[in-house]
Amino acid sequence: MAQTEETLERLGVPADKLEHHRLRLDDDPDVRTEEMLLNVGPQHPSTHGVFRLLVKIRGETILDAEPVIGYLHRGTEKLAEDLQYTQIIPYTDRLDYLAAMLNNYALCHTVEEALGLEIPERAEYLRVIVMELQRIASHLLFIGTYLLDLGAMSPFLYVFQERERIVQMFNKICGARLTYNYMRIGGVKWDAPPGWLDEVRAFVPFMKERIKMYDDLITGNEIFLNRTRGIGQYDTETALKYGLSGINLRCTGFAWDLRRKKPYSIYDRFEFDIPVGTRGDCFDRYYLHLLEMQQSLRIVEQALDQIPDSGPVLGKVPKLIRVPKGEYYSGIEGARGELGFYIVSDGKDKPYRLKIRKPSFVNLQLLPELLRGQNIANLIAILGAVDIVLGEVDA
Amino acid sequence: MFGFLKGLGVTLSQLPRKKVTLQYPDVMPEWPERFRGVHRFIPELCIVCNQCARICPTSCISLSGTRDENKKLRIDTYDINFDICILCDLCTEVCPTESILMSDTFELASYSRDDLYLDMHWLYENELRYERAHPDRVAPAQLEKAGEA
Amino acid sequence: MWDWQNASPLTGLNFVAMVVGAVVVLAIGLGVVTYTIYAERKVIGWMQGRIGPNRVGPFGLLQSIADIVKLLIKEDVVPERADRVLFLLAPVIAFIPSFMVLAVIPFSARHPFTANLAVGALYYIALSAITIHGVMLGGWASNNKYALIGGMRSAAQMLSYEVPLGLSLVGVILMAGSLNLNDIVEAQARSGWWYIVPQFLGFCVFLVAATAELNRTPFDLPEAESELVAGYHVEYTGFRFAFFMLTEYLYLFAMGGLMATLFLGGWTGPWLPGWLWFAIKVFAFIFFQFWLRATMPRIRVDQLMSFSWKVLLPLALLNLVVTAVLKAFLS
Repeated sequence: MAQTEETLERLGVPADKLEHHRLRLDDDPDVRTEEMLLNVGPQHPSTHGVFRLLVKIRGETILDAEPVIGYLHRGTEKLAEDLQYTQIIPYTDRLDYLAAMLNNYALCHTVEEALGLEIPERAEYLRVIVMELQRIASHLLFIGTYLLDLGAMSPFLYVFQERERIVQMFNKICGARLTYNYMRIGGVKWDAPPGWLDEVRAFVPFMKERIKMYDDLITGNEIFLNRTRGIGQYDTETALKYGLSGINLRCTGFAWDLRRKKPYSIYDRFEFDIPVGTRGDCFDRYYLHLLEMQQSLRIVEQALDQIPDSGPVLGKVPKLIRVPKGEYYSGIEGARGELGFYIVSDGKDKPYRLKIRKPSFVNLQLLPELLRGQNIANLIAILGAVDIVLGEVDA
Repeated sequence: MFGFLKGLGVTLSQLPRKKVTLQYPDVMPEWPERFRGVHRFIPELCIVCNQCARICPTSCISLSGTRDENKKLRIDTYDINFDICILCDLCTEVCPTESILMSDTFELASYSRDDLYLDMHWLYENELRYERAHPDRVAPAQLEKAGEA
Repeated sequence: MWDWQNASPLTGLNFVAMVVGAVVVLAIGLGVVTYTIYAERKVIGWMQGRIGPNRVGPFGLLQSIADIVKLLIKEDVVPERADRVLFLLAPVIAFIPSFMVLAVIPFSARHPFTANLAVGALYYIALSAITIHGVMLGGWASNNKYALIGGMRSAAQMLSYEVPLGLSLVGVILMAGSLNLNDIVEAQARSGWWYIVPQFLGFCVFLVAATAELNRTPFDLPEAESELVAGYHVEYTGFRFAFFMLTEYLYLFAMGGLMATLFLGGWTGPWLPGWLWFAIKVFAFIFFQFWLRATMPRIRVDQLMSFSWKVLLPLALLNLVVTAVLKAFLS
């Protein structure tokens, strides 16, 4: 008893919560069982960053789980209040560092809406192409890390081969492999270098083939099916109640994709489907990533056909960007859900307040509910499928 | 029932494929022209307008200059603190004379923080290094301008 | 002096020969382990588009040796709150049986290093069970929650898979009419077919149970990195950790040898010398394990248990009954 309390103190459980965690004897007088606090993280191979999960278990059953976040907090929202709008863009790269292009776009899009800017055609197409490539790269990494969590090593190394090609293409167009800083308010920084669009065109059939390979490698595997089918299941109502978005919402069968429901950029010009799940379990979430990559490839193909051969890539933007007084919000369909920037402006060149709707953070809220009552063996499978990026959760 | 056999086929088919490993550091990666590595700096071109220092989101650039006998501003010191530089490229974007540029130097690891405080001489050395490594990329006009100044 | 298989081993030169034989087998075992680890890293690397170890020596051939040297000169850490005696003892308990089981594996037709034990198959099963104690004690003595869970899982898993593994052997033993591994090889040579053909069901059960017994993917739960960080040996460093690794790979070799002996005709085969046939068969088993590791995700712990008791055990029993009935009717 005393030892447990000591442990709790060491773990940094606040005094008023001690009662909550204190060990209790089971009701059965013959069987003495103890609850155990298992500290998953902050340094654990499967928490995808510095994320700590305080799990209370009895035997192998999870009684309660408490996510502890903030290890990667850099105060992006506060920092932004002291930065001009263009200067904020490199900071957004570091939110969801697996989908920096989408973050770039979300901020630029919000400011452009506030200013009512006209974006040149070619810039819009370039944006769509890089955003969909980014979505593929991000989804690929999900598949790799999720399978790594489940114990399969090879998919992780396979996905990096395709991701490397995407990242190399980004490197050619904007000079960086991870933190792109490619979008500008009113357009994009660079036009595509010569031959770049052909490179993207060559990538599409290659990627299609690889998606088929993943389907063969993973989807049919009985062990994988057993570990994900019916695990971490929830329904549309719960998902909506918790404000989930992205694949975490679509896996329940609710077709909600901002690219279709509230079209931004030029997404209304493309034909694509919104794949939805049926059961809302981990397997659906995995499979939707695979299907969405196919849809993204479709969009990239169409954009490559439609893109004008030349033209400006940066619209007419005032030298010093001042957003008119007011409050602005716009959300886009990020790789992990609705990614929105909310700007309060007092008419100056810096935002008065910037609030980021971070999809990972919102999706994470469901985790304790999902874990309660589960076997501890399912912990990693469920945590992995929620697909969080700690840079975004902690911002 | 035997879906995993397909998976076994996939992994076996990868066995004879060409390997993708890059033997760094024996083989260096090839960076494209736009690659944003550590800065290079051409002091002759700088007009001490301070725009790079102002646009820098992390305020890692500090510079100073004086007027010479022709009333022209000349750069005296130009320091970039690579502790906090995030290589966002905004400084090269605003530079009116293209005196601050990005190079393809990317190996920044060091044993001391002091080594990350790069001054004008280091940055100019880096420029010379870059010119030697990529004579095709340095625009002739730029070389001329540098020669004039 | 090399006839101690048939003569009394405890007289004069026979005793010396026995000691020399043990040392030679140990050296073979260590060599095989070193290059099994190397081959594993190479083969899995190739399957994943990588080139595997390539820095130490030509083609990285000395990589494993470099690793062993590194482990040898590492600081030996015993956690303060660990149960010191058990913590130090556990790797020894785990390792010794893994080496001892090599005594009964018949490497080739006429070599002196195999004990001609009348209960060879039983000896193997019995000794390999002792390793479980080492694993469990290691997990317990570390005084670490992850190690404890890893150790307990390991014990539960190895015990449950020992049963179908043992039963799958019984079919072969019934057909050969002997527990002596040398006799089983000879019985296969006499009957004209390898027992993998008549005992195919038993072979499948053996293969799955052996994979689980070796704690290898997809049954590598005791050391599930993504869940348990490293499992029962999470607190071990340096040479003690090396002993656990050594145990694991020695068992891989021994289990390959057992499979080759029981189901693939051991050292028998046309044209090539016996030891080469044996090596080829063992390596086929080891390669299959690498291949599985490159492909499979990890099975869940409760599914692992129910798979053993609800699928493998009935299959093994069915195989046993069918074999017994057929043998009774055909003879």
